[in-house]
Amino acid sequence: MTTRDILDDFFPRDASGRPILTTESGRLGVVVGGSLSKGLVVKLDSGQSVEELAVGRYVVVHGESRRFFCMINDVSLNSANPAIQNDPPDISDPFMREIYYGTAAYGTIHVAPMLMISEDGKPKPVKTIPGHFMSVYNATAEDVNDVFGAEDATHFNVGAPLELEHTQINLDLKRLVERSIGVFGKSGTGKSFLTRVLLAGVIAKGQAVTLIFDMHNDYGWEITDERGPKVKGLYQLFPSKVTIITLDAESSRRRNARYDFEVKLGYHEIEPEDIAMLKGTMNLTDTMIDAAYTLRKRWGEKWVKRLIDGRSDDIDEIVENSNIQGGTLTALQRRLERFERWEFLVPETVTDSVKTIIDLLVDKRQNVVLEFGRYGNSLEAYILVANYLTRRIHEAYVEKVEKALGDAAMEPPQLLITIEEAHKFLDPLIARQTIFGIIARELRKYNVTLLIVDQRPSGIDEEVMSQIGTRVTALLDNERDINAVLNGISGAPGLREVLARLDTKQQAIIMGHAVPMPVVVKTRGYNEEFYKAVMQGDPLDGKPAQSVLGTGGRSRRVN
Amino acid sequence: MSVHNLEIIGRVLRASTRGFCCGTNSANINQRHDFGAFVKVPITNDDHQWVIGLIYAVEIKDDLMISELVMAESVDPNVLRDQRANRMIPVEVSVLNIGYYDGDRFFHSLPPRPPMSLSEVSLCTSEEIATFTQRSEYLRLILQASEVPSDDLVAMALRFASLCYPGQEDRRAFMIHNGRQLARLLSNDLKRLSHILTLIRP
Ligand SMILES: Nc1ncnc2c1ncn2[C@@H]1O[C@H](COP(=O)(O)OP(=O)(O)OP(=O)(O)O)[C@@H](O)[C@H]1O
Ligand SMILES: [Mg+2]
Repeated sequence: MTTRDILDDFFPRDASGRPILTTESGRLGVVVGGSLSKGLVVKLDSGQSVEELAVGRYVVVHGESRRFFCMINDVSLNSANPAIQNDPPDISDPFMREIYYGTAAYGTIHVAPMLMISEDGKPKPVKTIPGHFMSVYNATAEDVNDVFGAEDATHFNVGAPLELEHTQINLDLKRLVERSIGVFGKSGTGKSFLTRVLLAGVIAKGQAVTLIFDMHNDYGWEITDERGPKVKGLYQLFPSKVTIITLDAESSRRRNARYDFEVKLGYHEIEPEDIAMLKGTMNLTDTMIDAAYTLRKRWGEKWVKRLIDGRSDDIDEIVENSNIQGGTLTALQRRLERFERWEFLVPETVTDSVKTIIDLLVDKRQNVVLEFGRYGNSLEAYILVANYLTRRIHEAYVEKVEKALGDAAMEPPQLLITIEEAHKFLDPLIARQTIFGIIARELRKYNVTLLIVDQRPSGIDEEVMSQIGTRVTALLDNERDINAVLNGISGAPGLREVLARLDTKQQAIIMGHAVPMPVVVKTRGYNEEFYKAVMQGDPLDGKPAQSVLGTGGRSRRVN
Repeated sequence: MSVHNLEIIGRVLRASTRGFCCGTNSANINQRHDFGAFVKVPITNDDHQWVIGLIYAVEIKDDLMISELVMAESVDPNVLRDQRANRMIPVEVSVLNIGYYDGDRFFHSLPPRPPMSLSEVSLCTSEEIATFTQRSEYLRLILQASEVPSDDLVAMALRFASLCYPGQEDRRAFMIHNGRQLARLLSNDLKRLSHILTLIRP
């Protein structure tokens, strides 16, 4: 044996002939302590820089017979002898640094075990922890796929796990749409972009039809990206699968945006329940809402118009013959007068918008984007329309599902209803009565689930929140919002650190029903590459839409 | 371990399992006797087992003649040259035992028996040093030896051992590996650690 051979045994070399000091590549350190409830403590190997280990990153502990999938939720510095803090060594010399790091001074990471992968590659809930001194590695693509699944007919790539850019998280869309979804994050963190990625996946893989109440024209046609050029809307990605309808044709024309038809709602279709939902936004009192119910009973379906017109004999008659005060009535009248500025509200409607939308969703399996145009700036209009339409669509769904008598083939397709500013709909004060509260609570019984997008999850009724199956959350900095989002999620204390430290854009934690364990993703870029990937599935791309859809009783406008 | 081509440095004078002294004369003294050198000597009544040690002291003895010359007012340069070149002044080399070889592999603990007096002590070859220093447990024996200047001895021994590695990178890697070992052993005495590290810094 020559010195050289001995040396090669002793100091393995990398490809360029430099000795490799760490023993195994990808190894981060060893488990030195911890518990199932509090997580594991991992002492980092000397070559492992603490700075590279961001919270939220995945690591895998190789136990004796299984792998433990863990998430880093804290990083700390330690020293073997606290005295070193009084007289820190000079580490400007790399030699000294290499010696001190990992021995006298070392880093530890705290990792929360999320899942175990048994020998057959199946993820299971963690019921134990790996033993002492087991090695900890970076998660590989294979590890990630064992947990989240490989990309296939129901799994859609939504982004890369943190610090593992070469791998991707394939979200189980079937599970995603099965229960309600919440997309949270403060303003500008990429909620709308992320929602579009999720919806594009759902549409591309045909896991549900969606109805999107598109407050800020974020989904249908082109979207202005605050960073520069416009990005494509869902219609442009899936021309054969998406129908755009609008409340404000004028705005669509101005934006040069395509739409398929204009929605008009009749005054006579507005019910007191719809008004009740506007309690907070329109500053209505309980007595005003009671008055609305009384008016509806006495005047029938034309009550709204009649109140706005407010003929004095009408008003007098009501004040005399009911316990409604005149003041209440005029106050309610003044508030409802706002409706007159909304051109989509008309005294009479020719077509039944609700029926048209249901036809589109159920029979044509179209995904419907309802653009609000300029009315997007009016929360009252948004809430009124969303409530109004959803209530009736839900009624139709209930009827259809009940008629199907459990025959899955007869049931309408899974419907995902997307709303923004969700806390306005799901405020604890009204959540019990609103249709959205009902849908969230009844789970998937009637094949309808919600995708709520919100920047203030703390404003959402707690019970509704607990029914949200999958929570996708970008950066939140308000303590109450963070609590609201993490409430009821296992491993929450660890996630808190991670959540508060997400990037301000394009990063999110996905947790809940659709994922076997919470995961931090760098959201897939919504860009040319994304379009190409999802459009491959749409053979009609680029062809004029009419030739495929036919007129079907609708007038399709093309600008 | 072969007995051929040995670089003999002397013969055992006194020995214990902790260490031994070997003697030679001044004419034979050269860099083989450097402080920190790795040496080996067969164990008493056993040709297969060898003690491995480190030289930690080299002592040049005096005698009457030398004492007289030192006292003299002036010394004739010729006498001085003659004294140095031709007289045999006894030299004692002290060795700390740091391990042994059992005919098959190295152990980093004290040998089972000391070497026998008059056994030939020789330098270890670089292969032997490289193999012996693959593991670092012997460092503890040096650090704990109270009778020797252990900080300097550790540093010197590591410098010696690192010279067995041909390349710059390898030497550095070796030093870092051992430096880290020292950092672990001396985590409760950071001043001492930092002193030794300064001594072995390339
Ligand atoms: N996945 C992504 N791909 C490309 N760009 C993104 C992505 N996510 C976020 N961005 C960038 O971040 C910006 C803000 O994103 P977005 O409009 O979705 O935020 P938001 O949370 O919906 O904000 P608001 O609360 O104001 O509606 C986008 O204009 C875009 O530049
Ligand atoms: Mg947005």
